[in-house]
Amino acid sequence: MQLVKRYFALLFGGSLVIVLAAGLLFAQVKRGNYAPATLGQLQQPPPATLTDDSVYQVSAYQLYPAELEEGEGRAETESFCSLCHGTRYITMQPPLPAAAWEAEVTKMRKTLGAPISDESAALIVKYLQAHYTPDTRKQ
Amino acid sequence: MPSFTGPGANPYWNSVGPYVSQPQKSPLLLLTDRGVQLETPRSYFQTAFTPNHAFYVRWHLEGIPNAVDLKTWRLHVEGNVAQPVSYSLADLIRKFPAESIAAVNQCSGNSRSRLEPRVPGGQWGNGAMGNARWTGVRLRELLHAAAPKTGSLQIQFQGLESGAGSEGYGSHFFLKSFDLGDPVLDECIVAYAMNGEPLPMLNGFPVRLVVPGYFATYWMKCLTWIRVLDKTDDNFWMKTAYRIPDTPRGNTTPGDVKAGTVKMIPINRMPVRSFLISPDGDAKIPAGMPVQVRGIAFSGFGGVAKVEVSTDGLKTWQLARFGEDFGRYSFRTWEFTWTPKAPGRNTLAVRASDSAGNTQPDQPVWNPGGYLWNRIERQDYFVGAAE
Repeated sequence: MQLVKRYFALLFGGSLVIVLAAGLLFAQVKRGNYAPATLGQLQQPPPATLTDDSVYQVSAYQLYPAELEEGEGRAETESFCSLCHGTRYITMQPPLPAAAWEAEVTKMRKTLGAPISDESAALIVKYLQAHYTPDTRKQ
Repeated sequence: MPSFTGPGANPYWNSVGPYVSQPQKSPLLLLTDRGVQLETPRSYFQTAFTPNHAFYVRWHLEGIPNAVDLKTWRLHVEGNVAQPVSYSLADLIRKFPAESIAAVNQCSGNSRSRLEPRVPGGQWGNGAMGNARWTGVRLRELLHAAAPKTGSLQIQFQGLESGAGSEGYGSHFFLKSFDLGDPVLDECIVAYAMNGEPLPMLNGFPVRLVVPGYFATYWMKCLTWIRVLDKTDDNFWMKTAYRIPDTPRGNTTPGDVKAGTVKMIPINRMPVRSFLISPDGDAKIPAGMPVQVRGIAFSGFGGVAKVEVSTDGLKTWQLARFGEDFGRYSFRTWEFTWTPKAPGRNTLAVRASDSAGNTQPDQPVWNPGGYLWNRIERQDYFVGAAE
């Protein structure tokens, strides 16, 4: 009798442990966690159309223009800087001190020959300093 | 990801731009779209050779060729020579023995975003590099055929890229030069194949100059004019740009630059570097589980002699095992078995030494161009409990 009681106690206790363990195990494995994503930001390019002549051609290089911060001088900055390069050359930079932006604009004009008047250059420098220095740049 | 890093150093392995699509390329990381600058994601460096479709891209000017007609395209060897010569691509393939070399092409500004204080320029992470097997014609053979006249001093390279700037400015043409007696010219190849395939247009179809051991600024893409000069090239891209302090490791300070006391020289060979590629730290590692840590190393000074890994904060170093040897200018893959003992944050560091006796130091580099970064690389890993 005593033996049978112990047998049931063990069986009961053992089952409880198994049930608890299964519960814990279940709690530790998470399943089915999905989240919505944005589709089509980067399109798969179609296969190239080729001919067997001597011309080796690729399709147009894709433009990904950067949006510059709103503010006085943005139009001048966009149009003059874009004469030679895309505006991503600006947004790619880390926040640069005010003097560094002035030096950049001077380099583009004097060393690389960008046709920008003193007046426009001053406006561009002021704009870059107002939005792209460690103090002024926003993520 | 943030849209930019700074004013502190970029803490990520790559730069932070989005993936973008460009002709003949897998999605790569955008630096700029006009001219095109794209960075290779870290995962492509798990092999000794970087696939052409993932090879980084760096142009200086916006006028990049979209089409080349090989019926009219010629490689011209001209200038101060007795016999100017022009070669079609078919000439280059048929008339000369094909030479192949595995060589790393690394942008001078690779890892520029690590410098503090930050400097303007392409804000590359570590992915402005790649290794390929280049096949083509020895430059010396082409030069020899044109017979440079006595009194010739330099050899200038020009490709098909051009910009909106006026003639005489660096914004018009991109030009690079070497002294005619520079021994590196003996190793240069005019390559028409990259990993056994035509070069992608963005990497310099139909031919590009390969300068083993040197930074990529000299590896002229779409090479079309080889010009022998009887004077020293003083164009912007030699005289002003791509210059480094004539100091150990090209190191200087903003103060010394401002004081004008730093002597600058053209950038040249690539200092020894090593990179930890995988695992990339994005997944936890169970404590007690041996993992294979893998990476690459290279040097422009003649081959990687050893790669060492430290698991204890640079106190002690253990040798990594080398992968196959593809030559002194190639990436050398390495592997290291690491068994993290206890849960927590672990940092691994890797350093390489080259056969010239240079070992990567843990000191940072700073110069105004943002060149020559080769500090010891680290990777943090989160180790979790395994029971």
